[in-house]
Amino acid sequence: MLTTTRKALHSIWMKLNSNKNRIKTRDGSQLKAEPSPKKGQFTFGLRTVPEIKTTGYRLIWLVACSFLLVFILSNYNVKKGVYIQKLENKYYRLMVNGKPYIVKGVCYNPIPIGSNHEYDWWSDPNKPWIVDGKLMKQMGINTIRLYQTHENSNEVKQVIRDLYNLYGIRTLLGDWLGFWEYPCPFYGDKKFQDKVKKQVLEMVSLYKDEPGLLGWILGNENNYSCLGQVNPWSTPEVDLEPDPQKQKKMRAQIYYSFINDISKAVHKIDPDHPVGLGNGELIGLDSANQFCQDVDFVACIIYRGKTFGNLFRSLRMTFDKPILLAEFGADCYDAYLKKEDQNMQAFFLEQQWNQIYENLGDKKNGEGNCLGGTIFEWADEWWKHTQDSPDSWKEHDTGAGWSSGSYYFDIRAEKNMNMNEEWFGIVALSPELENGINKRIPRKAYYVLREFWKKPVIKKARNNKAK
Amino acid sequence: MKKLIIVMLALSLFVPAFAATEEKAAGPKEFMVYLDKNAKDNHFIPSGWMGDYGDIKMNDQAADKPHAGTSSIQFIYSAKKAQNQGWAGIYWQNPSNNWGNKKGGFDLTGMTKVTFWARGAKGGEILQKVMVGGIKGTYPDTVSVEMGPIELTADWKQYTINLVGKDLSYVNGGFGWTVTADLNPEGCTFYIDDIKYEADADLKPESKKQEDMPFYIYADRSTAKNHFIPSGWMGDYGDIKYDGSSKEDAYLGDTCIKIIYSGQGTQGARWAGIFWQNPANNWGNVDAGFDLSKTIKLTFWARGAKGGERIEEFKVGGIMGEFSDSDSATIGPVILNKEWTQYTIDLKGKDMSYIIGGFAWSTNVDNNPEGATFYLDEIKFE
Repeated sequence: MLTTTRKALHSIWMKLNSNKNRIKTRDGSQLKAEPSPKKGQFTFGLRTVPEIKTTGYRLIWLVACSFLLVFILSNYNVKKGVYIQKLENKYYRLMVNGKPYIVKGVCYNPIPIGSNHEYDWWSDPNKPWIVDGKLMKQMGINTIRLYQTHENSNEVKQVIRDLYNLYGIRTLLGDWLGFWEYPCPFYGDKKFQDKVKKQVLEMVSLYKDEPGLLGWILGNENNYSCLGQVNPWSTPEVDLEPDPQKQKKMRAQIYYSFINDISKAVHKIDPDHPVGLGNGELIGLDSANQFCQDVDFVACIIYRGKTFGNLFRSLRMTFDKPILLAEFGADCYDAYLKKEDQNMQAFFLEQQWNQIYENLGDKKNGEGNCLGGTIFEWADEWWKHTQDSPDSWKEHDTGAGWSSGSYYFDIRAEKNMNMNEEWFGIVALSPELENGINKRIPRKAYYVLREFWKKPVIKKARNNKAK
Repeated sequence: MKKLIIVMLALSLFVPAFAATEEKAAGPKEFMVYLDKNAKDNHFIPSGWMGDYGDIKMNDQAADKPHAGTSSIQFIYSAKKAQNQGWAGIYWQNPSNNWGNKKGGFDLTGMTKVTFWARGAKGGEILQKVMVGGIKGTYPDTVSVEMGPIELTADWKQYTINLVGKDLSYVNGGFGWTVTADLNPEGCTFYIDDIKYEADADLKPESKKQEDMPFYIYADRSTAKNHFIPSGWMGDYGDIKYDGSSKEDAYLGDTCIKIIYSGQGTQGARWAGIFWQNPANNWGNVDAGFDLSKTIKLTFWARGAKGGERIEEFKVGGIMGEFSDSDSATIGPVILNKEWTQYTIDLKGKDMSYIIGGFAWSTNVDNNPEGATFYLDEIKFE
């Protein structure tokens, strides 16, 4: 802080001395500042500043100093780092180095056509993030979300640094918390817990000092394992409980207590970045309210079509933490008409961002607990529908992997299967190469959101048709 | 003087023209759906017979106490489930039998309500609902409004369907009604007369009414108190048998709901369930949620045929679509007792202002390899 002050004063002094120390007074005459090396000196340690003898000169000097003082005072209390501010009205804001920050982000996983999730894009010599980052910046994106870091920390740092230094884009780093480990994530097992915790803390130690880092997200939809819906796990104690409802509660207690434990450990190592709890919908957050108070925000994975419904209010009631929509969006393939429909995707995304903005901390009419969102996802991934068939990774599959009535335009598709995993990108991939990577073709949603972010006008959905 | 004459002459030419324009802009005040048999003002035809259409008899020149004119329409519903649907109904269409496959209908912009007169032969007959619009197809209606259930009186009574603010630019399904065997187990006879659209400039838009508690989903087989229809059959729907009139040891009243889940995996899903919806089969595509903001809980009674049957989930709300439920709440898994047991879904703090999916259950073959038979009764919001 002191160095900053010195530099500022020096800068003013240099400006005052420029133009051969001639300063125009209010009556238009010119005065020359005559610095005296001996008499009436102000010493600021850096160099000697002369006393200003003329009234006009003194006035300007005083005004400059006042401005400087205000500047110093206003910056003196600025908290560095990334943190969440709770306002007097109980609304929340994400702050980055003292300034409010709305997360306008995307989930980022640049898998080229013909490869699958095992592809090591971090070491791609063509650096896809350079091309993507440029497009992102032009759109207004300020954040990417990475689900998991790579084993080569230098490459991870390079990505974070390139995106931040070139485009000002910050990174949210995550960890799967062993969710996909075979046969299941044993969250009730101490050894498993220790292994996962160690992995997370190593990540934090490695990247906490990266200027481009925005925060941490622990897990994704791991809470579903507590319900037995995905990757179910148990413990001998849980198995002894005959009531399946109580079993769920017991698993939730174990899981959220574990996350809380990790969160506390992360804060000890890195007090400068917030920790998010990755969570599918709001399921289980009544337990989180009891056992996981040390996380800073909820990173919610949610697919509810054009509206998040009462999500923001419901979170207030169950677990009063700010929320980042960490995974949401819409695909752009009409499974009923069997053709790409960019209007449909743009419609849903615009509606969703309307609601995100409506519930930001600086908006009066919302719940004030939203920090922003990271859209799923930046670019299409051509491997997702038929994951076991490498040949299909070269094809843009039009098969749907799941069904959701919330995306109602194509819900009349066969067996109501309307969610096309390979078509969620807001940029499409072309087989044609450009700069060594698949050419990026921004979809309509890209432009619609670009305009929305430039001038966010919140409007209620009046019609339900994509135009 | 000459000038005055010219002005008067000009006014005499313009004023009638202006008045005519104004009259034209105002449009007609009424538009008949049905007035009397063969009346030239009838615009729609009662041609869209639905559900157990074999259970319906129609006499469109019933001279027995018409509300006005020379006749009314008499409907006799037998509730015999001729097509095994458990419900029946009729749409007035234009042209006849138009299920949205032909361009027809009318632009009724400017109309604000539909009124009709109805009475039951005895009183107590229940129309499950009456409808305006709602026909889909290539040429879908621009409006879909429903009202009901309606318990008829023995005397003529006028009913009004508020259409203020609705898009009436294309209406093919001018009017319709449905009845169910559950609500009229012995069948019913009722009369309808003088169905018409009206332009009532003073009518205000219908505000969503907060429903009073208790608000029943199922009280008993044939009661107008029931809301929501058990129409949303999910998963292995072929594994489910539903009896809404079971007399096997009902918890309260004459009947309860009996559900048999076979666990055979007919559709290959390995699970099954039923959503109670409003209206039937509404997966969020019809704007028809109830405002249940006054509720703090949903209670119901349940028992298993043997005890030990496992229901994975009982649920309120959670239907997501163009019009989504405002919230959801669940309990489960629940292992049923052989004796009637009351269960509660806590709704405190929930946003129940818009509910299409009133109640649901689901179970699966993994936890019920031999299937499951269970009973439900007295399902209500309190």
